[in-house]
Amino acid sequence: MRSTTGAPMSRRRFLTTSTGVAAAATAGGLLSGCAGSVSSGDSGGKTTLTIMSSGTELGTAAEIKQAEKTLGMTLKVVKYDLTRLTAMLTSGSAPDIVRAEGSDAPYLASHSVAQDLDDYFAKSTVLKAADLDPVNDIWRWDGKKQGSGPRYGMVKDYSQNYTLWYNTALFDAADEPYLSETEPLTYDKLLDVGKRLGASGKKSKAYGLSMGGTFETFMIMTTQAGGQLFNDDYSEVDFTGDAAKNALAWYIDLAKSRITPSLAYPDPNGWDWPTFQAGRMAITAQGYWFGGQIVTDEKIAATARFAPAPQLGSKRMSTCYTGTGLWMPKAGKNKDAAWQAMEYFLGGAPAKKRAETGAGLPALKSLRPLLPKTEGFQKEAYAVQSKELDYFSVLPFTPYIRMDAMNAVIYQLTPGAIKGSTSVTKLADQLNSGINKQLANGKKLIK
Amino acid sequence: MILARRTGLYLVLIALVALFVSPFGWLVVTAFKDNSEMAAYPVHWLPEKWQFGNFSKALTFFNYLGYARNSLIIATIYSVLITLSSAWAGFGFARMAARGKRLVFGVLLSTMMMPAMITLIPTYIIFARLGMIDTYWPWVLWGLAGAPYLIFLFRQFFAHMPRELEEAAIVDGCGYGRIFWRIFLPQSWPVLATSMLLSFTWVWGDYIAPSLLLSTDHTTLAVAVATQYVNESNQAPINNLMAAGSVLYILPVLLLFFVLQRGFVTGVSTSGLK
Repeated sequence: MRSTTGAPMSRRRFLTTSTGVAAAATAGGLLSGCAGSVSSGDSGGKTTLTIMSSGTELGTAAEIKQAEKTLGMTLKVVKYDLTRLTAMLTSGSAPDIVRAEGSDAPYLASHSVAQDLDDYFAKSTVLKAADLDPVNDIWRWDGKKQGSGPRYGMVKDYSQNYTLWYNTALFDAADEPYLSETEPLTYDKLLDVGKRLGASGKKSKAYGLSMGGTFETFMIMTTQAGGQLFNDDYSEVDFTGDAAKNALAWYIDLAKSRITPSLAYPDPNGWDWPTFQAGRMAITAQGYWFGGQIVTDEKIAATARFAPAPQLGSKRMSTCYTGTGLWMPKAGKNKDAAWQAMEYFLGGAPAKKRAETGAGLPALKSLRPLLPKTEGFQKEAYAVQSKELDYFSVLPFTPYIRMDAMNAVIYQLTPGAIKGSTSVTKLADQLNSGINKQLANGKKLIK
Repeated sequence: MILARRTGLYLVLIALVALFVSPFGWLVVTAFKDNSEMAAYPVHWLPEKWQFGNFSKALTFFNYLGYARNSLIIATIYSVLITLSSAWAGFGFARMAARGKRLVFGVLLSTMMMPAMITLIPTYIIFARLGMIDTYWPWVLWGLAGAPYLIFLFRQFFAHMPRELEEAAIVDGCGYGRIFWRIFLPQSWPVLATSMLLSFTWVWGDYIAPSLLLSTDHTTLAVAVATQYVNESNQAPINNLMAAGSVLYILPVLLLFFVLQRGFVTGVSTSGLK
């Protein structure tokens, strides 16, 4: 390199300057991650487990410290993020434990990413097969269908997803009788009730009924009505059957009535709790899990009630499609230690604490008695929930693509139908086309 | 006529200011609300009862100051390094001659068109193989590498400085390293301020990189504020605390802007001159 005026640049000065910059950067020992620990963690040569979870779902910083003491390990918690998980698996630094929804279990198992946990369950004195709640079948995959075969994960806690919470104050204001604690409403009757409860005016604006319009919604309704969305090998969906079209038509009718937050007209509060808490939502299909939120507000707790999930057909079903839990990547390097941690978080003190808060049903039958019954609404909810379990079932999903991919197609296409430019028949065709294309691509990736 | 035109102009400007400031104003108002007031209808434009306690709760809900310290360390390391390295590179492009310099500069600028998202996974893999995950080394390396936009700013600024200055220094026996450190860099404070402000803000406000590379215990305030104000039992967001935490999170950057704003405006406006 030469200067514009021909004078040579001082190599010595260049090197001195560059070294100075690098030295300044490293000064003070600020660069190691430990320097930035907010909980003064020190691995001290113990086994280090990397756990990918969301928020503080496995515990606060103090509770994670307690877990480290109990387990005699260092726990490095990283935020669940699909991009990061992909990067970790690709770079050969797989996390030891990961959270996921049970609907993704077939995908994880069939892509040979998740570890078969049967041997661990067989030996465990904490997580015994006989004590596992039936919801854990959502994490089983026999190579062809979900619900049987080896276990690839375990549920943390769950709800029968479409059980209802409602605000009696809004029912009273509309002179509407309360919902039955034992008999489910049909979807059509529920829509009528919602329409009567939805109020809009200068001084009030309340949603009558909040229900999502996701793949899971349509799958639950279709299954209840005796139809099915997937074909036998889960490689295609069909929304054009009568049951599926009825489910789509019902949801489009609900969304068009504007008594529910929808993809076309979302609730600016982001999700149901703030609106329910403000007394502006009469019914929400959030599941038992929502009780963990209701208990934080005395005023709303005094008027909240729990009711069975609605039905579309003659066969009563109350399903769970999420079953959020933990799984171990096959590529993890500390599997025995990871299993110990799973035993602790899913069967130890954290699992007991979660059960006691009522933010979901426990995944172990032995923990069910711990569900809260202190507050009036909790006693009533417990009674309704106990009966609802008789109708419990899990929904089977495809191994070829993740649920998010199917819902992305639904989120793209349903607003057109809600706003009136697309008929239900056309929507069903579009959904078939969009989702089946993704399924076909996904199928090619499985060896 | 002139008065009417000026009044109209001010009205338009006031409307634009209101438009741009309103999201921040709404955030501040939300930070003072009780949780139940946030979804009230008719909308409560101002809180019925101002919840000043939201701010102390936001500071103690998790180790706020610990995460703020992490953000400060990373943002300072990065902004100092990237300012120096970009200035150094900008000086080279402005004042040195080399074969292919224009081509290299063109390639450098074209990298600004590449969306950062597409390099996320390769970036993770590289840092994982270098053993730098969950450390602050990636920010050091990024800092030492310089940023195309800042290099462009410095290059433009240095390019219009008088050649006589450089020639006089050479006659006095200065090499190019010394010319850079002693003459050009001290004169470029408006661009230095701009570069420090921009780069500090990039890192202070960055969610994706720390979320990808750091564990929950070592992460930054941006990630903590976005993810940790949740109901412990069911992980539902606590929006008023999140708003209060966000207001506090914005303050250091606002402060930095007010301190450096003169330089920032001058830097941006003069770096385009040649």
